Amino acid sequence: MGGPATLVITPPIGRSATGVSLASKVQSHLETLERRYSRYLTDSLVSTINRRAGSGDFTHLDPESETLLEIADQLWRSSGGLFDITSGVLRKAWRFDTANTPVDLSQLEALKKKVGWDKVKRTGEGVYLPVKGMEIDLGGLAKEYAADCAVRLLRDHGVTSALIELAGDVATIGSQPSGRPWRVGIRAPQGGDPVGGIALSNAAAATSGNYARTLQFEGRTYGHLLNPLTGWPVEGPTSVTVIGENCLSAGAVTTIACLQSPKAAMAWLSEAGLPWLMIAQDAGYSGPLASKLGLSPP
Amino acid sequence: MNPLHSSSAFLRSLTRTLATLPAYQAGTALADAPPAFTEVGVRYSHYSEDDIDASSVIFGATSRYDIDITQLWIEAPVGASWSVALDVQNDYQTGASPWFVGTDQSGEPGVIMSGASIQDNRVEVGVATRYFWADGNAGLNVSHSDEDDYEALSVGFDASWNSASNTRTWTTSVSSSHDKVNPSQGVIPVFVTNEELDTQSGYFGVSQILSRSAIVRVGLNYTYSDGYLSDPYKLNDQRPQSHERIALSAGYRHFLIDANASVQFDYRYYADSWGVDSHTVELGWAQHYERSTLTPFFRYYSQREADFYQVIADLSESHFADDYRLSSYGAVTLGARWAINLGDWTIELEGERYWSDADWGLYDGDSAPALVDFWRGTVAIIWRFD
Repeated sequence: MGGPATLVITPPIGRSATGVSLASKVQSHLETLERRYSRYLTDSLVSTINRRAGSGDFTHLDPESETLLEIADQLWRSSGGLFDITSGVLRKAWRFDTANTPVDLSQLEALKKKVGWDKVKRTGEGVYLPVKGMEIDLGGLAKEYAADCAVRLLRDHGVTSALIELAGDVATIGSQPSGRPWRVGIRAPQGGDPVGGIALSNAAAATSGNYARTLQFEGRTYGHLLNPLTGWPVEGPTSVTVIGENCLSAGAVTTIACLQSPKAAMAWLSEAGLPWLMIAQDAGYSGPLASKLGLSPP
Repeated sequence: MNPLHSSSAFLRSLTRTLATLPAYQAGTALADAPPAFTEVGVRYSHYSEDDIDASSVIFGATSRYDIDITQLWIEAPVGASWSVALDVQNDYQTGASPWFVGTDQSGEPGVIMSGASIQDNRVEVGVATRYFWADGNAGLNVSHSDEDDYEALSVGFDASWNSASNTRTWTTSVSSSHDKVNPSQGVIPVFVTNEELDTQSGYFGVSQILSRSAIVRVGLNYTYSDGYLSDPYKLNDQRPQSHERIALSAGYRHFLIDANASVQFDYRYYADSWGVDSHTVELGWAQHYERSTLTPFFRYYSQREADFYQVIADLSESHFADDYRLSSYGAVTLGARWAINLGDWTIELEGERYWSDADWGLYDGDSAPALVDFWRGTVAIIWRFD
């Protein structure tokens, strides 16, 4: 899925399943999901959908894929169009790779014509991208879904204590073997020590942010989250962390928050009603978790 | 209040959509795995037949059967891939049943009842083990039941396996049973001693997830019995020594996301070598609440009579029976199930009311005077722990 993974499992007592065998089962399932949803694999479902853009051919969906696209649709509607899984093509104009390839805004207008979840056709036949060059990217959703699947799989094998981390999103089962909740650090955007630690037990924490990949353009620093409506990077919060019952729900809230202005993000996070921490670009902290961690408000 | 339970419209809507994915459904395994918890349950059921209409009775009491069923079970995981289960059931039956059908002074058919109430106790003990692998599971079960006049020993094997995409599941089972019949001599004379009966049965079925909110299943069952198949407590009952049965079943479930409810449809067609065939249709609506599911249901049944059934048995035939259960009739059931989840405990309640009438069936046939109406109530308490 393009990111690091950490798995901590306490094997269930009284069963012959070892941590290694359970980790192997989790890895196998994650690989199955990657083969289905990775845009980097040419024979994945996502790559097949993208390859057929503009060809007239629908791609049939299994119930799981159909539901993930339904979730993408809900997030698109709830975010006023800001969460858009077709916006990935804009990366061709804003290249956040390490080579720091110059920004090529000449492509932007042409690329914007290939963006728009409302253009995507979903029928009983499956899904179809009507514009040649259109792409969908389920990376964000699929990663959080994969973490939740790992939790389900481990619970089914009787695991009552585990932690799964996939590229910064964390899901936990129970508490540590000592009985204390799992302690998860919230990364500081500027690097260095975490800004604080949160206690998780049978909960998940997702973090979205603009700080991990940036580029310099015309004297300004831009984060990698792109506004699908304008084609330009979002000037939103630096980082948002939310705790929820599962990774996908928490991640949906953080992602939509980071696509808005800090002021709109605060209103969105308050309305969502889950414990949250927002770090704004002036390094101010806000949200119920800020108070809990003793972090200063902006 | 749980800080992770949000009342926001966005998260409530997202949660409803996620509920269609197995990863977010409690009790649904992503890969076949033994139960994560040990389960202990007890179930009590009371079945009570209405009194027979006095105008249909030529001789005997009008009260019919009452049955109390108590069941205790335990199922536990063993290792990473196995589970074992023990099931004990006790049936206590009292009451009278039709002995034979004769004619009254006006020549109308009427029932002669069995006289004094019987009291019969049956105990059944079953043990089972199941093995799970990534794509399926297989089980072996053995059960023995014993009562004063009947003993049965049965062995069964079943297996199910999932497709690679987990959207299709195939299921198969085979079973064999050897029964011994030694009727009790009581108020009514019995002319049978020490008979035996063998039954073999096989089933094959498949379920298919059609979409994120719909699943369909079909199955075919074949059963063959050989041996003593008549009812020893009926005066005029002489049935063939073999009995072949097939049953074709189908079911459909559709989850309505906005209503947070499921529509349930089940159909079964049955036919046998005795000439009986029947249709059963059941419709249910499962309404899901935060901690419970309430499912009212309606069932319709229609049966064609057996070839050798007569309202008043013709003893000159090689086979004959006046048992109302072999007649043509239709039946309607109204009921409801209520499952309440209280953390580690689950309470299940069910009640149903059944009416039958010869005029309600799809097939023509003479009306049996002893058709039964009944009600049944069940309560179960289940405890899961690790």
